Amino acid sequence: MPAIFTIDPRSGVPLYHQLIEQVKRAVALGTLAPGEQLPTVKALALDLTINPNTVARAYRELERDQVIETSPGRGSFVRDNGSSIEAGRAVADIAQGAVDAAVREAKSFGLGRDAVIATFERVLERWYPSNPSGRNS
Amino acid sequence: MNHTIAIRGLTKRYGTFEAVSDLTLEVEPGSICGLLGPNGSGKSTTFKCLLGLVRPTSGTIEIEGKPVDASTFASLGFVPERPALFEKFTVAQHLDLNRRLYQKYDAARANELIDLFKLDRKKRAKRLSKGQQTALSLVLAFSIRPRILILDEPASGLDPIFQRAALDLIIDAAAGGATVLFSSHQIGQVERAADRVAILKRGKLVLDGNVDTLKGQEKVVEAIFEGAVPESNGLINDPRVRRVERTGRILRLYVRGDGDEFVRQLERLGPRSVDVLDLNLEDIFLGAVGERDESSSGVV
Repeated sequence: MPAIFTIDPRSGVPLYHQLIEQVKRAVALGTLAPGEQLPTVKALALDLTINPNTVARAYRELERDQVIETSPGRGSFVRDNGSSIEAGRAVADIAQGAVDAAVREAKSFGLGRDAVIATFERVLERWYPSNPSGRNS
Repeated sequence: MNHTIAIRGLTKRYGTFEAVSDLTLEVEPGSICGLLGPNGSGKSTTFKCLLGLVRPTSGTIEIEGKPVDASTFASLGFVPERPALFEKFTVAQHLDLNRRLYQKYDAARANELIDLFKLDRKKRAKRLSKGQQTALSLVLAFSIRPRILILDEPASGLDPIFQRAALDLIIDAAAGGATVLFSSHQIGQVERAADRVAILKRGKLVLDGNVDTLKGQEKVVEAIFEGAVPESNGLINDPRVRRVERTGRILRLYVRGDGDEFVRQLERLGPRSVDVLDLNLEDIFLGAVGERDESSSGVV
């Protein structure tokens, strides 16, 4: 089975955080469908070559956040209800994190507030054109 | 809490040299603890004490609640610093010896692992390369289906593919409930496989904790200034600041805990920008054992 999640053990971001984010993202994007079974703790730990307790910790937190549910002896599954709301929130968080990092970097380059807004509007125009049929003038 | 491996107040002196000083380290069941430290920091001495190869000067060692004795070894897989192999025995003869010695010896598992590491069953131990000797030691340790694994540099001499295979063995054993203590010079291996890390420096434990928790706690607050870095005496005396680094116009504070408060303090100094950076295990390790920071405030 190919890895459905990618994690970076060398990052300073705790592994279980990375894994939680990956699962939420997969649920939000539909890569993991409601009711779909997740790999067992052991299978995922071996697949990613990471510590099993770290995987178990991520699963426990995902359960607490009501993204997945675990039934003893059967395994862990993406929840039918609620998971999409939680996952949608997670995707908004991820997006905000990315924007946050970009703005922080712009600030560290010494760009002023107006310059950042102008940059942001240019990028926004590219992905969300206000005039979808034509090109920007 | 029941600890599978409990080292308490361990000191080992060789003459006047103290190799291990008052080391207390407890490993919970099912945990993988990675032991890190520069050369000569006491890792191998600790392992020798654990395996009963040398006698501690003081302190106690318990495995599954009992002092180490012959019965401990029935469920203990180990890889010592130097492979404990019989030079004239072939690979197959080593397996045969393990079969006779260990009740829980699993022949099918042993054969699987021999194939995994591509070992030649007919080759004598002394004709194996360093990496092949390590691989055979791993096969012997894991084929007895151990509950406890004590592994001193279990990937030394292995190529990157076999190093990964060794990590997989450790992870697989822990997923099955085994408790593992292993040392490594490769921080990346500990960062992947271990949930817990203990860092030794000159025989003393300098940092110990859950890898993810440490990553969440240890931060660098980096401020970039237009001109010279201003004085910041108050910060240096803060006990949460582990280290201060000044490089040109950059001021870096290595802090424990939430970086936001330090961001606010640094912003008062009028920098061009302030950022909070995450630390990976290598940064944390270097911070714990480093001596390169002469400008350091007292390490916590």
